[in-house]
Amino acid sequence: MSYILQTNHLTKTIGGKTLVRDVNLHIKKGRIYGFLGPNGAGKTTVMKMLTNLWKPTEGSIEIFGEMLTPKSYEVLKRMGSIIEFPAFYEHLTGYQNLKLHTEYMGYYQHGSIERALELLSLTEAGAKPVKTYSLGMKERLGIARAILTKPELLILDEPSNGLDPAGMKQIRELLKALSEEYGITVMISTHILSEIECIADTIGIIHHGQMQDEITMKEIEDKSFAYIELSVENPERAAYVLSEKLGLTNFKLISEGQFRIYDSRISTQELSKALALKDVAVTALGKRSETLEDYFLKLTGEALRDVEAH
Amino acid sequence: MLKLIKLEWKKNKIGRSIRNALLLAFILCLFIFAMNFWGIADDPETGVPDAAFGMEVISSTIELLTSMAFLIFASVMLSSFIVSSYKNKTMQIMFSYPVKRQKILISQMLAVWIFNAAALILTKLLIYGCIQAGSAFMTSSFIIDFDITDAGFYIQLIVKSLVIITMSFISLFIGMAMKSSKAVIVSAFLLAVLTQANIGDLTLRNHAVFPILLTVISLISAVLSTCRVEQRDLM
Repeated sequence: MSYILQTNHLTKTIGGKTLVRDVNLHIKKGRIYGFLGPNGAGKTTVMKMLTNLWKPTEGSIEIFGEMLTPKSYEVLKRMGSIIEFPAFYEHLTGYQNLKLHTEYMGYYQHGSIERALELLSLTEAGAKPVKTYSLGMKERLGIARAILTKPELLILDEPSNGLDPAGMKQIRELLKALSEEYGITVMISTHILSEIECIADTIGIIHHGQMQDEITMKEIEDKSFAYIELSVENPERAAYVLSEKLGLTNFKLISEGQFRIYDSRISTQELSKALALKDVAVTALGKRSETLEDYFLKLTGEALRDVEAH
Repeated sequence: MLKLIKLEWKKNKIGRSIRNALLLAFILCLFIFAMNFWGIADDPETGVPDAAFGMEVISSTIELLTSMAFLIFASVMLSSFIVSSYKNKTMQIMFSYPVKRQKILISQMLAVWIFNAAALILTKLLIYGCIQAGSAFMTSSFIIDFDITDAGFYIQLIVKSLVIITMSFISLFIGMAMKSSKAVIVSAFLLAVLTQANIGDLTLRNHAVFPILLTVISLISAVLSTCRVEQRDLM
């Protein structure tokens, strides 16, 4: 399988401090790649190197099958990006900013600016100077600029900064549509898991400047399993009910009076009914599943759902 | 390249700079006209201009004031075209385009250079013209020492203007090294004082070697400002 973007032992050291070390990324064409990591994990550093703003200290980057060198300009034509917060010529209008972008990119297609503004609900705001925009509007204008020239690869660094929940949803849907309809490959970084878990095909997890794992959503679904957690007062009798009456084998006693049942055929209703019939006092009963978040936490050992993001 | 320069002008609202340059030219012209014909620089006791040695001729005054003014004007523009764009991150956008980065920087520098060289030459022509016209029916306080019918006058005027504007690259280099817009303007001011003004009896203005040396330093600064920009990290 060929990758549209891959890195090889990518390392960046600035002033003796290693920001990222040995990062190996693999992004397949047409996929949405979620680049996940807590604040300060090195996401922006990697993305700056991918867009050639920073040069790797060690390692290499391959984009569209070509090695990225300081002189790679043509590949930039095929990429759209937002790194950190998008910057604009504040005194110019949104429309003028996008117009400048097409001039520099050498992309002339009639109506493309209007369409990009419309996609991000900025048609009216397009005539106003950017300095009058709210944070969320600037972010949306940044996305409009990134997708304006129909790039093959989109690199978005925390694109949901300053967006409200409705705005985030809009961006998610837009990215999904771009990926499905035009086959655009999207790499999107975030520290908020819920933002990408429903659109990403693959997740790369970075922590303390090192890649922890690269995994497809499919693999996560296969890996993660749901189970029922059950707490009772008399575990012997409960065990008897589970094995003899319900015929379950795949369960275990994890602590005093607490069971985990990994059999997916049984529902909590059936379970409580059977236990009640045999006079087993149930103190707690509930379905649990290991989510991407659990998986992520296991890898990074840090809370991801950052409070500041809300 | 021409297209890049035009885009720079468009991006940085060149209309505003044109307005400011016109205003500056007009004020300079009015000031010099007033000094020469209305006697505002005259010493009340002697009735002749209170000028330093070597400044009794009108061309010295014109060259001094216009050069200082436009050297500083050029560095203000350089700082807003280049140094500010590093600071407000718009350079990051510029460097995400499929254009050689050195070319981007050179286009920005040329956009300022062309504009200011033209503005300085036109301003000087305007002032010399006004003085010439005024001298036809007013008494001049300063000695009129130029001849607008002489081709050499125009050549000298143009060459001097180009040298002065090129000097602004020195202050750009200092400003870029210090990552500060203020440093560009302050160093331009110091350069203007150092090269144009009199400090006691000492002036560097009339030495022949000095402008050549300065031009060389200016060009080296320009090269240093743009070299290795492809390899360097954009901070």
